[in-house]
Amino acid sequence: MMATHEVALGHHAREQAGVGSGVWSWITTVDHKRIGILYGVSAFVFFLVGGIEALIMRMQLARPDSHVVGADTFNALFTMHGTTMVFLAIMPFSAAFLNYMVPLMIGARDVAFPRLNALSYWIFLAGAIFLNASFFVGAPPNAGWFGYANLTTKQFSPGANTDFWLLSLQVLGASSVLAGVNFIVTILNLRAPGMTLMRMPVFVWMALVVQFLIVLAFPPITVGLIFLMFDRFFGTHFYDVTAGADLLLWQHLFWIFGHPEVYILILPAFGIVSEVLPTFARKPLFGAPVVIYSGVLIGFFGFGVWSHHMFAVGMGPVADAAFSIVTMLIAIPTGVKIFNWLATLWGGAIRPTTALHFAVGLIAMFTIGGLSGVMHASPPVDLQQTDTYFVVAHFHYVLIGGSLFGLFAGAYYWWPKITGRLLNERLGRVQFWILLIGFNATFFPQHYLGAIGMPRRIYTYPAGMGWDFWNLVSTIGAFGIALSVFLFAVNAIWSLRAGAMASADPWDGRTLEWRTSSPPPVHNFDDIPLVLGRDTYWREKYGRRAASASTEGGSGGRGGGAAGAQTEAYFAAGRPPTSPPAAAHAIHLPAPSYWPIIAAIGIGVAAAGALLHVAIVIAGALVTVVSLFAFALEHHRNPAHVHQDGTLGIDHRKVAMWTFLGSECMFFGTLIATYLAYRGRSVVGPHPHEILNIPVTSASTFDLLMSSLLMVLALAAVQRGDRGQARLWLFGTALFGLIFLGFQAYEFTSFIHEGLTLRTNLFGSTFFVLTGFHGAHVSLGVAWLVTLLVLDLRGRLGRADAVKVEIAGLYWHFVDIVWIAIFTLVYLIP
Amino acid sequence: MTEIPAVSEPHSDAGHASVATYVKVALILTGVTALEIGVISIRFLTPIVVPLLLAMSAAKFALVVLFFMHLRYDSRVLSGLFIGPLVIAMVIVLALMSLIGAFVTFGR
Amino acid sequence: MTSARHGHRARFIGLVGVAQALGGCAWDSRMSTVSPASDLARSILHVYGIITWATIVIALVVSVTLAIALLRFRDRPGGPLPAQIRGHTLLELSWTIAPALILLVIAIPTIQVIFRTQGPAPKGALQITVRGWQWWWEFRYPGLDIATANELYVPAGQPVALRLEGPDVIHSFWIPRLGGKRDVVPGRINHITFTADTPGEYWGQCAEFCGTSHANMRMRVIVLDHAAFDRWVAAQRAPAPEPSGDAADGKTIFARSACVGCHTIRGLSAGVLGPDLTHFGSRKIFAGGMLPSDAENVTAWIVDPPKLKPGSKMPAVGLTTEQARSVAVYLLSLR
Repeated sequence: MMATHEVALGHHAREQAGVGSGVWSWITTVDHKRIGILYGVSAFVFFLVGGIEALIMRMQLARPDSHVVGADTFNALFTMHGTTMVFLAIMPFSAAFLNYMVPLMIGARDVAFPRLNALSYWIFLAGAIFLNASFFVGAPPNAGWFGYANLTTKQFSPGANTDFWLLSLQVLGASSVLAGVNFIVTILNLRAPGMTLMRMPVFVWMALVVQFLIVLAFPPITVGLIFLMFDRFFGTHFYDVTAGADLLLWQHLFWIFGHPEVYILILPAFGIVSEVLPTFARKPLFGAPVVIYSGVLIGFFGFGVWSHHMFAVGMGPVADAAFSIVTMLIAIPTGVKIFNWLATLWGGAIRPTTALHFAVGLIAMFTIGGLSGVMHASPPVDLQQTDTYFVVAHFHYVLIGGSLFGLFAGAYYWWPKITGRLLNERLGRVQFWILLIGFNATFFPQHYLGAIGMPRRIYTYPAGMGWDFWNLVSTIGAFGIALSVFLFAVNAIWSLRAGAMASADPWDGRTLEWRTSSPPPVHNFDDIPLVLGRDTYWREKYGRRAASASTEGGSGGRGGGAAGAQTEAYFAAGRPPTSPPAAAHAIHLPAPSYWPIIAAIGIGVAAAGALLHVAIVIAGALVTVVSLFAFALEHHRNPAHVHQDGTLGIDHRKVAMWTFLGSECMFFGTLIATYLAYRGRSVVGPHPHEILNIPVTSASTFDLLMSSLLMVLALAAVQRGDRGQARLWLFGTALFGLIFLGFQAYEFTSFIHEGLTLRTNLFGSTFFVLTGFHGAHVSLGVAWLVTLLVLDLRGRLGRADAVKVEIAGLYWHFVDIVWIAIFTLVYLIP
Repeated sequence: MTEIPAVSEPHSDAGHASVATYVKVALILTGVTALEIGVISIRFLTPIVVPLLLAMSAAKFALVVLFFMHLRYDSRVLSGLFIGPLVIAMVIVLALMSLIGAFVTFGR
Repeated sequence: MTSARHGHRARFIGLVGVAQALGGCAWDSRMSTVSPASDLARSILHVYGIITWATIVIALVVSVTLAIALLRFRDRPGGPLPAQIRGHTLLELSWTIAPALILLVIAIPTIQVIFRTQGPAPKGALQITVRGWQWWWEFRYPGLDIATANELYVPAGQPVALRLEGPDVIHSFWIPRLGGKRDVVPGRINHITFTADTPGEYWGQCAEFCGTSHANMRMRVIVLDHAAFDRWVAAQRAPAPEPSGDAADGKTIFARSACVGCHTIRGLSAGVLGPDLTHFGSRKIFAGGMLPSDAENVTAWIVDPPKLKPGSKMPAVGLTTEQARSVAVYLLSLR
């Protein structure tokens, strides 16, 4: 969805393109670099908020029987601290680097869907503001960032606190999934010529793994939150024990998300370190393919270990043992990464910059966090450690010692690229040492506190438990961390005003972002580079020296044959390689758009409306729908829109749709799993066999199957350019979709007449939510088809637009196959 | 146009199924659906009705994905993007069912 | 058995001895996880010790390697470009396999202990039902017809089988020195089996966040020798003693107030939402184990419970301080 904004070549393209620097230009920006900066600034602000929450908690816990804050305030503080740091600080910090650096590192001009990128950011901001607005109405979430049901149900948390939490988490999830799809397509499909997957920088690889984790892990928690929302707003029984529900459902759904989330938080930092260490050791990453495969394995196994957060719930010895073993297995690829980093430093020529300090700090600190993690991979040990300060210490060694140290390494490393100025290295090192000391003073004693039994999430503790002294030390340490963060802010402001100007390549970098100016022009590269291998820019600079000095061990050196020849060729010619200047005179840049922020405002209004009045929900939803239509259609006739084939030779939109459908598999998988897990648990009737009408459903199933046939016929017609048939079949598909919805409306009303509603029993809750969400998907599909039909009637759906019909078709068929599964699993199986 | 040449489709020149193929697939889908409905009313099939239904459902699912969604003719990358998550989703469905189902017999 | 027990413990304590010398840390405090006083806690510490050693060795290897690399391989101005080594298959294989072997060392005792500690309770175990309420603990002895709160009495040397039931939200039962925690989940039944070694008092508290006063949901396990336990059982099974004087006034006030809706005093009331008070006077602590049972505390509590325990489900029932004092005297007389 690239609009054209023709920009003349040259370093002053920004000025020439009329891209200003006013507030409006930031609101409407679709430039990945600016969006990256927006993410970074927002993340820092929320990081400060979360940090202040932590400091208040530490003040309360500095002494026994303290009264700095009360119980409810403290509970709100730890809930908001966790939620904020995870969703509003570390994730967007990573997103900032991802946005800014991934296109540069793969030699692209922007992301695949620049406006979608802006939409993701604004939705994130809407969710973040909405969550924190809870403070101003005196109802901050207070049931923990993990929100264990049934404490979160209306019965035990009657206030709006939990509503703020569950609504904003859904909004933030939507933002993350949209961004995830966008970046998967970007990385797969927008690589510069020669950038094979194995030549991608490790940071880009980790970004790719993380985006897959996001796209696949958020649907389960979204479903869990939808259940909670329905329980709280509409009286369903998903977490109602008296109706037969199993409270562990929430815990499973939460941790199926929650464990991959740990890797979502840590893998970007691993990626950053994997770039920083080679640069400052002046030596390639040791065993880069193994580091990449380890990251992929960690991501994959990350979906199979969630229950190690639940060893105390009583899953039984078999499940405990199984999840314990898989969890221990994950330690292997993690350990491999650490050893490869050590081997990268070994034999290098280490330049001790601030960025390197933080990267080395990560190795040391994360090792501690990783190893304490191995300790509670063992269920018996975990039963003594879980929910104590030992675990608090553990995950802060992972999230501060790992993620935050990595992100600071990235900040010092890429700051000159982003701002064009250098940070003060001396102040940076002071900041590093203060953080290292403050962090260890805060969290190392917490291992001990946990070992002598101090539980988590307690707002106070009595004297005489032996916990007093080290709690005080921990509190003092926390202020050390705060001082360090303050010094970073000072350094940043100083640098922006008076920092030394940075060259394009201040660190003698190895990857493509150092090949363009600091900061990069709006179009990133004047000409797209040709990629010769891993560390392509280093090869470009050092040529034969780098190539000949390299000892190719293991599988590290494969895939360089053609590139090797090219290397020889251009070094012979004595000039840097670029792809042939295809569009030599103009670079297509996406035009700014204000629809993303309007859509996000609509979503924020709708969320607020859920707490105020249904009319506001409708108003917000209308704004969102209208702006999304405007968004989708604003560049419809743009010629730049037609050809979006990328590295894979496939249209971006098609790759995006398949990625999204993968995410949808997880969404419907979770809904179906819940239906099946709750089968037969309803304590009152009516039960499925008394009420399900198989003949009627068979007819509607047949109808939906036939609509899929019409859909492919429509696509074939559009591809042939047969407009008459295309119109006919599109109309037919939409009509059959409407008929299906009619069947569903009939089914729902007859069930309600027979006494089955959402609120009747578990069967009613699971049945209506599952089939209702399917119906909502069908409705969305019909709306999409009608839009295409209108475009066609206006003569605006030519052969060149076939991919638009194709992606609509993919969506439609997916909805069909979901129904195939539902028909069998819900209706036919007795 | 973004068609990738078919890798292993002999009777398709542009990497594309013909309208006739689509109609054939639709007929098979209809037939299998009819069979599904038939199977549940045949008493002597009761012991194996669940695996039978699951197999038929999976077959329908596969037909739609392979032909209507063109996965059979499209890039392997797209297959990976869909099948990977599908497998993870199915494993999680089974794990969730057994974890929660097992609790029923354990706890009650 | 005993020597093995001491062996593990000695190893663990030896290991932390360094820290102890440096920081003056005590490892045998009230809720220590590394000072076991039951078979269950000892089994756990066995694995705990092995893993702690393994992880410390790995941490040392990593940090020493890191330190050497940082000291040895500094960039020197004008120095040559380091060899551009991209990997080494054998090395990478070895540091994949070595951790796997270490994990095996951890995994085997882990699995053994999982199955050993989660088996069915031995015959002759004392059956006790534990119910976690917002925010106090209820202990019922079904075979003995005893109900108590926040204080769990068990005999030393006899297996105890706890059956965990959740009447409201999720809690977690945890007495660190007697074993690991186990969640109390509404709608499900969980079990803990352990045998306490020696008489003594062991502290614990709820370990799963359960709402406002989660921090105030504490408890103690009092382990008695057999004779003392039998005496305790006999005393608890006796009817509530008849009060006299001020306490008799308190009984009258209690019987007329809203108290009876939630509390049981055998022979007087039958409420089930709050603790059974039949032998309230025999308990050292009350209000979710956060306060010592003395007349002053109990009076203040009756006047305004949420003031002492935030969010308390027990409301102020509108008694004057005078009336509350009488009720307190009555309750404390129920020994």
